[in-house]
Amino acid sequence: MVKDIIRNMRKDFRVEFREKSALQIAFSFAFIATLSVGLVMGGASTGARERSIILWLIMFFSAMSGLAHAFVREEEKGTALLLRLTSSPSAVFTAKLLFNLAFFLALQFLITLLFVFFVEGDVASPFPFALTILSGGTALASASTILSAMAARAGVRGALFPVMSLPITLPVLFAATGATAEAMERPGLAPGGDIIFLLAFSGAIIAVSYLVFEYIWIDE
Amino acid sequence: MKHIARLLHIAMPAAIIMAFLYAPTAEVHGAPGRLLFFHVPMAWISALAFLTAGLLSMAHLAGRGRFLDSTARHSAEAGLAFTFLATASGSVWSKLSWGSYWNWDPRQTSIVFLMLIYIAYFSLDSALRGKTNRGRIASAYLILAMAVMPFFVFLFPRFLGMSLHPQSGTLETDPATRITLLVSIAAHTLLYLHILSLRNRTHRLEQNIRNIAR
Repeated sequence: MVKDIIRNMRKDFRVEFREKSALQIAFSFAFIATLSVGLVMGGASTGARERSIILWLIMFFSAMSGLAHAFVREEEKGTALLLRLTSSPSAVFTAKLLFNLAFFLALQFLITLLFVFFVEGDVASPFPFALTILSGGTALASASTILSAMAARAGVRGALFPVMSLPITLPVLFAATGATAEAMERPGLAPGGDIIFLLAFSGAIIAVSYLVFEYIWIDE
Repeated sequence: MKHIARLLHIAMPAAIIMAFLYAPTAEVHGAPGRLLFFHVPMAWISALAFLTAGLLSMAHLAGRGRFLDSTARHSAEAGLAFTFLATASGSVWSKLSWGSYWNWDPRQTSIVFLMLIYIAYFSLDSALRGKTNRGRIASAYLILAMAVMPFFVFLFPRFLGMSLHPQSGTLETDPATRITLLVSIAAHTLLYLHILSLRNRTHRLEQNIRNIAR
């Protein structure tokens, strides 16, 4: 099982870095979206709450543009069938989840840096801020992985993935925007319940994902 | 099924007659206050249909019977219709009680959240039409949505403040109002079950016609 997971992850990274187009598009989207928002705002003074909402909306749509790819690629290239024959559903899901987590955390790093630089996002409590970004990113990536598997099986491109994802990830956006706003404006803040909430959400989604993934992945 | 239809034919007219003729006029809202007897049951059916669809989806994935996935879909269809009606009637009630159509009340927002889930579910379901895994994938989505529900229950009061809706046990109503409300809830539950059984029947007929045409 562990060997299968490592082998699948290595394959995913190798394919992504060989083809580069999906990675390039996802990073370009994150870069252009963050910069465009910064330019449109034009240095206008906004409250921490508004800034955190904008930050998490950029993160959500960046996740939507980049995280569906792992499963969609397998279906489009016809490699999904081979993957079903050679690896167990749990191994496939774990590899895709870890790949998406690594990919999205890298994407978040870029977005956060650009956002703090261009939108003048002063961060009063950097440690809770970083923890919120990490735990919120984990929650978004966890939910997006299982939802992207469903969207890929549906074989529809376009708006289906965000339409399915938004209701499921709303608790993440609610909690993360609140915690980010607090970390931005309150100095000396200790990491709080929102981070535990986001981690609990990730745990619950991952647990349910393992239970249902087999039914999504294997044909009747 | 026949019993449900018979009971519905008694309970629904009784609920309507009781709401307009038996229950006393509300002191604050007057006659428009009778909306309560329809809004509360509609909100109840929205949640019941969602729960039923989720449980049927679980049973479908556990391989407990045929047609469970389509019954879950039919329950979600009824749920979506009742969610729209509950939101619309709730907005009118909100305007009467609190002065505006929308107040970001946790319960108002929960119903809209349910509506979003239903809409997303039907988008996925329609994208899966004709695929062999349609029932399984759509069921998996409903189960995932059910797992997210408790997080909203925890979040909404925190971010949106306490509900303007009366909490259970704090509403002082006279017995006639209470009985009318209970009858109306029972009548709407029967209506939901009746719609569900009719949809199941038409679905099976459609399947049979399709099989014969093949």
